Amino acid sequence: MTTIELVPKPATIKKIIDESRDVKSYVLEMNESLPMPALPGQFVEVSVQGYGEATFAVTRKSKGGREFTISVKRIGHLTKMLHRAATGDIIGVRGPYGNSFPVDDWKGKDILVIGGGIGLAPLRPVIDHILLNRKDYGSLEIIFGARTPDDILYKDDLQMWESDKSILLHTTIDVPFEGWNGRVGVVPAVVRDLGVKPDRRVSIVCGPPVMIKFTAAALRELKWPDNRIFTTLEMKMQCGIGQCGRCNIGEKFICKDGPVFSLNQIPEHAL
Amino acid sequence: MNKWHRIKKTDLQKYVSRLAEKWEVWVPRRVDEKWEFGIYDGAQGLDLPESIIDVSLKNLFFPKRRAIATYDENSKWSMQPVDPEQRPRIVMGLHPCDAAGIEYMDRVFLQSEHKDVMYKKERERTVLVGMLCSEMGDGCHCTDRGLTPHSTSSMDVAFVSEGGWYYFKSLTDKGKRIMESKYLKETDESPTAKEWPAGKYASASPEEFMEMYDDSIWHELSDICLTCGICTYACPTCVCFLVTDEKFKGKGERVTVWDSCQLQSYSRMAGGQNTRKTPASRVRNRTLDKFAYSHLRYGRISCTGCGRCVMVCPLKRSFPQLGARLSERIREKKKKRTKVRAESKED
Repeated sequence: MTTIELVPKPATIKKIIDESRDVKSYVLEMNESLPMPALPGQFVEVSVQGYGEATFAVTRKSKGGREFTISVKRIGHLTKMLHRAATGDIIGVRGPYGNSFPVDDWKGKDILVIGGGIGLAPLRPVIDHILLNRKDYGSLEIIFGARTPDDILYKDDLQMWESDKSILLHTTIDVPFEGWNGRVGVVPAVVRDLGVKPDRRVSIVCGPPVMIKFTAAALRELKWPDNRIFTTLEMKMQCGIGQCGRCNIGEKFICKDGPVFSLNQIPEHAL
Repeated sequence: MNKWHRIKKTDLQKYVSRLAEKWEVWVPRRVDEKWEFGIYDGAQGLDLPESIIDVSLKNLFFPKRRAIATYDENSKWSMQPVDPEQRPRIVMGLHPCDAAGIEYMDRVFLQSEHKDVMYKKERERTVLVGMLCSEMGDGCHCTDRGLTPHSTSSMDVAFVSEGGWYYFKSLTDKGKRIMESKYLKETDESPTAKEWPAGKYASASPEEFMEMYDDSIWHELSDICLTCGICTYACPTCVCFLVTDEKFKGKGERVTVWDSCQLQSYSRMAGGQNTRKTPASRVRNRTLDKFAYSHLRYGRISCTGCGRCVMVCPLKRSFPQLGARLSERIREKKKKRTKVRAESKED
């Protein structure tokens, strides 16, 4: 049988985690013992038969490397169908695709992770990687913003990161909310308030386009050079292999040349 | 060096009929006043037009709707890849601009980490027998695009009309396979070499086009464009596609279908965000893709000068004219800059 790259392979849903009111995570395993060698920052194309496919960041790899997790915000047809799926269901997966965060180049550096909403999903493997190789990296600071307390995802992780002495975690929500005693303010404002200097840090930023844009501006105000601000542009992708044409920024394809870029690698209008 | 062979024009159909006994032979056919490629069946005769074939042969290698897998609608997962077509075939009568289009598609689909296997099989099963042009038609502008009416890139066999003869030459081992025929006689004569007129549209380098990204000209250019997308369907190098699931004849199919960057839906994401919402942003994307991005990605601009976009545009405001208008603007800007520099020196 011919292997056609665009035809997905079956994967089984091993576990479903309710993350927030409109986000669920799916722990998947490829059928037939196929591997899923995703690096931090890479993505997969996920299919629901009869409903097409869409792009999702791999947000966690299990220790054995067989299981991997995607987080799905209910927003369109395919994600609606995914939210109806049950443990044991079979869906289609192909990938991993794209480049990855250059975590090896960052050894010895302090890391600032800035996530907005579901934008934390592609950044979580970087945090996992640092925690797994803790001695290789300096300090780890995480800024995570959600619209409301109900939109906060990865609650178990946040709790774990909170109690980990080697991590400085700031969780914020956009506007005041009854019962919320934590930090309030949009991510770029929090970045400004904290005034984190570039020193020997690299930062990785992901969230809604407007959040990335203004967070980048805040970091630049704090004198961060563009080559130390990394982002992952999870824009409209489809084929994942640089052929369908859709995700280009200039001559670059986000799916093939990205999705991870440092700001000096992309034009200003990409933000 | 392979020698020229020639065949009497009156013998061509006999030669093609012999080929058709063993091969699937695709030739230009007139359907509803338009030329397009179809399978030769002998009944319709054989007429090879010198002028552009209205419908490009992109469809033969990268079909407008292509099933890549099938599935049973009643199952949750049963997707199976389709078997690509393997029967050998000959495509005869394409022109150099279309052969160049295939060469460009090769760069997109084959010079990639993840090759398009179905496209690869279509290429492998095909012997391309290209017809060199004797003259340039109204919309033709291949000489603007680094080609000539006698360019042979990606052809397996090239032939050209002269007097009462067609002169054939095989260019690849694949091409040799169709040259053994009692009708094709080796000859020491060769067809007359021709001089071609220089390009007719103003042009600029890919780097110069890239500098126009933030220029206001895109609004001006999009004002004279409907962004209907017909030029992208007619274009031999526009190969953007959508992957989707369709129910077809009682079964489910995962298909790739042609898509167009000129349509608003093309870049719209679930949730409604759109990176190219305005007509100006879409016209800019296509124009720069043709004249700059393609060059930066694949080492060749993707316009082959076939002129189909000129033929199909409902406003008759042709794409090469957009490119030319843009090139003029680049020149104006340059002149201005030089003038400013000269004046500041004088000061």
